[in-house]
Amino acid sequence: MIGIKSYGAYLPKYLLPRESIGKAWEFPIVPGTKAVAMADEDSLTMAVEAGLDCLAGNDPKSVDGLFFASTTQVYSEKDSASLIAAVLDMREDIITADFTDSLKAGTTAVTRAVDTIKANKDIKSILVIAADTRTPEPSTMWEYGFADGAAALLIADEDNIPLSIEDYYSVSANVTGPWKRADKDKFIRTFEPKMDAKFYIENITKVMVEILKRNNLKPEDIGAAAYYYSNPRLHGRIAKMMKYPGGVAQNSLFFQVGDVGTPMPFMLLIGALRRPKDDSKIIMAGFGDGADAILLHVRDRNALRDLGKSRMGFLGHQKSMITLKNYNKFLDFKEIVEKDRYTRKSSAVTIWRDAASVYRWYGLKCQNCGAIQYPDMLRSCYICRADDQFERIKLSLKGSIFTFTLDHLVGGTYLDIPVPRCVVDLDGGGRVLLNMTEIEKPEENVKIGMRVELTFRKEHEGADFKNYYWKCRPERGKL
Amino acid sequence: MVRKGIKDKVAIIGCDMTKYGELWDKNQYDLLFEAFQSALKDTGIKKDEIDASWIGIFYYFTGLSGAMVEDILRMDGKPSTRVENYCASGMDAFRNASFAVASGAYDVALACGVEKLMDEGGSGLPGFKIFGHPLYPTPSAPAMFSMAATRSFHEYGWTKEDLARVAVKNHENGAHHPKAHFRSPISIEAAMKAPMIADPLGRFDCCAMSDGAAALILTRPELAESYAHADDYVLVKANAISCHTNFPWYVPPGGPGSEFTHFPATEKAGQYAYNEAGITNPRKEIDCAEVHDCFTITELLNCQDLQFCERGKAAEELKNGTFNYDGEIAINPSGGLKSFGHPIGSTGCRMLTEITKQLQGRAEGRQVPDAKVGLCHNLGGAFTVCSVTILSQRD
Repeated sequence: MIGIKSYGAYLPKYLLPRESIGKAWEFPIVPGTKAVAMADEDSLTMAVEAGLDCLAGNDPKSVDGLFFASTTQVYSEKDSASLIAAVLDMREDIITADFTDSLKAGTTAVTRAVDTIKANKDIKSILVIAADTRTPEPSTMWEYGFADGAAALLIADEDNIPLSIEDYYSVSANVTGPWKRADKDKFIRTFEPKMDAKFYIENITKVMVEILKRNNLKPEDIGAAAYYYSNPRLHGRIAKMMKYPGGVAQNSLFFQVGDVGTPMPFMLLIGALRRPKDDSKIIMAGFGDGADAILLHVRDRNALRDLGKSRMGFLGHQKSMITLKNYNKFLDFKEIVEKDRYTRKSSAVTIWRDAASVYRWYGLKCQNCGAIQYPDMLRSCYICRADDQFERIKLSLKGSIFTFTLDHLVGGTYLDIPVPRCVVDLDGGGRVLLNMTEIEKPEENVKIGMRVELTFRKEHEGADFKNYYWKCRPERGKL
Repeated sequence: MVRKGIKDKVAIIGCDMTKYGELWDKNQYDLLFEAFQSALKDTGIKKDEIDASWIGIFYYFTGLSGAMVEDILRMDGKPSTRVENYCASGMDAFRNASFAVASGAYDVALACGVEKLMDEGGSGLPGFKIFGHPLYPTPSAPAMFSMAATRSFHEYGWTKEDLARVAVKNHENGAHHPKAHFRSPISIEAAMKAPMIADPLGRFDCCAMSDGAAALILTRPELAESYAHADDYVLVKANAISCHTNFPWYVPPGGPGSEFTHFPATEKAGQYAYNEAGITNPRKEIDCAEVHDCFTITELLNCQDLQFCERGKAAEELKNGTFNYDGEIAINPSGGLKSFGHPIGSTGCRMLTEITKQLQGRAEGRQVPDAKVGLCHNLGGAFTVCSVTILSQRD
């Protein structure tokens, strides 16, 4: 049976209050906050976070494919899926693909994953990750909505699937709603917001109505409906038009987190899975140049609940977010303010050769004395000096600070100066040097022995490509 | 480790250095030329008597290859080599020149060093964006050493005030030296209140960016009798280098230096040099030492690794006056890197010039009373390369 075996999510640590946007531009104040990624984050790094959350407790080597969906791909030639798969330490004999250019890319990727698993006996599971970091033009209405986040669903064909995928239905609609020209536009444009709303209502209801009809279901048979929405008023209208009973249409996202784009239906679904009703049906729907509706069936309520306890998911991240006090900091986060950005020399060759160390996070274990060390460029043991006795070993993504400095001379994009540079002893062995991101008041909060976890971030854009590496941060929700 | 060694096989017969500082109106060629001409004058020889040269330069922008000597000094195409070994570059140039005369391959050799940092601007050492791996973090120099300070505070209970005392002592010494970059004493309060560079190291915990050059002329002792310093040439007792790792933050717990409270390169180089020189009690047998104080924490830890005091006791000994110029063992009587700055390739040669003059009783700043045996020490990179030279008065 094909369905969802696991899920994960990622929300950046910072929330921007809509009030600060309103004040900046003297707009009518809109309540709530929205999630904003830092300048060292993008769709790819957030996808890694969601992927790690989703694969917690699963062997990444057991997954047969990775689909990555985003309207904010970091490259337009060169995919992200293969890089994300490497960082997640997945095998190389897998399928990878990017789905892009439409906000329904996430739900579309899920339907394609189902088809692929059905059609190919060698492919039993595909990790589908959606992430977006859509930058709104400052002082436009988009600024109240657009937010950043990522979510992942592990689609698999297994006997004991807790949430099965029963059916899907899609429509394609060529409408010039919001767009961004690939060659010219930095920000999203629109011709007429009222027409955008009309396209949205027509398409999202069409697919949900049709999937109910195809499966002989009535609106009251649906336990939860997780459909994309870009504003809460439209969401309410859809719920009414669909005649969903109260509490069925999932609307937990916009007020605090905002319109996260492509991963939104996944996140709404993950939110709904917190209290799954036994044997209930769930609809997940995405919108953008058409729409997809996917019908799911809760097969094992307890397994789903256990899953929720073992990962950060949507709620775990939500709980550990911090509200920014300063709108200008947000402009800096988004690299909207023009300023010199830190670059270092880089080499695509070096990074390719060192992928095991820099992406997959492997170290070396000396077969002679057992000492674990990093990076894997070494050939002779630091401890016993034995030559060529190393075996690769996967390192932990958690550890404790052995020593550190707070560097005022550091380059790169960080929330605040000074930047902690930390010598970290990883759980289970390996000593590494990592810069720390997402730390407030480092003078007070960074200490010897402090627990940290690793996060995959953009370091710089040397040689005119994206240079990603691991940083550390205080454990989310534990500072 | 040391086989035959160079003990008593090399004599310093002349040396000098330029003024150190922000020398905007001079380039590296001017600096090298001035140091060289003064050293020639001190030796009382002409440049054609020099058989071969070694020059310490760290940065590519100061100059590439041994032709740096040829271009400015016009040595008629004689052998010349540029040496790079981090902050030990200058002292390693001296080491190579020492080997050359000791072996008999040459009679008279030039060891010199120069660095022109200020042409790159004065806000921290340049080049960290282009060195090394594109992804692995490359901390600034203060960041590297402050990780040792953090750990030493934790292990030894040292404080910012203990670090400040190093700066106060060295600036006090430097105030007396006509060639120092900085010539004003500072207070402990000023040192402790200075802006942070890499916490816990503040501005006065760090040496400055400076320009400068120094040069020494070497020969064998039996030839030294025929030069100007026949009566007071200085003998080389030992010269040792030890290399640790470029990446001390990757040394697994239990490995050398993994404690971040001592420098294995200093410890080893010191031991090699003491063995070669036959020194068994460094604190008693050495009268003065120029010890690498790129950062205040560096001097404290180096003093321990050079066996001038017990582990964990350097701050206390400093407070008690052990390391003052008239104390039990004078550490950085010149004012050190704190007062001279650190034009990297030149620093080793500057220290050797300083200690040579101390042993000859003609120190330009604070003369250490009755100095007979002296030590010079550099520690460069990420605690990576250490060079130790021991000098003494001629027999």
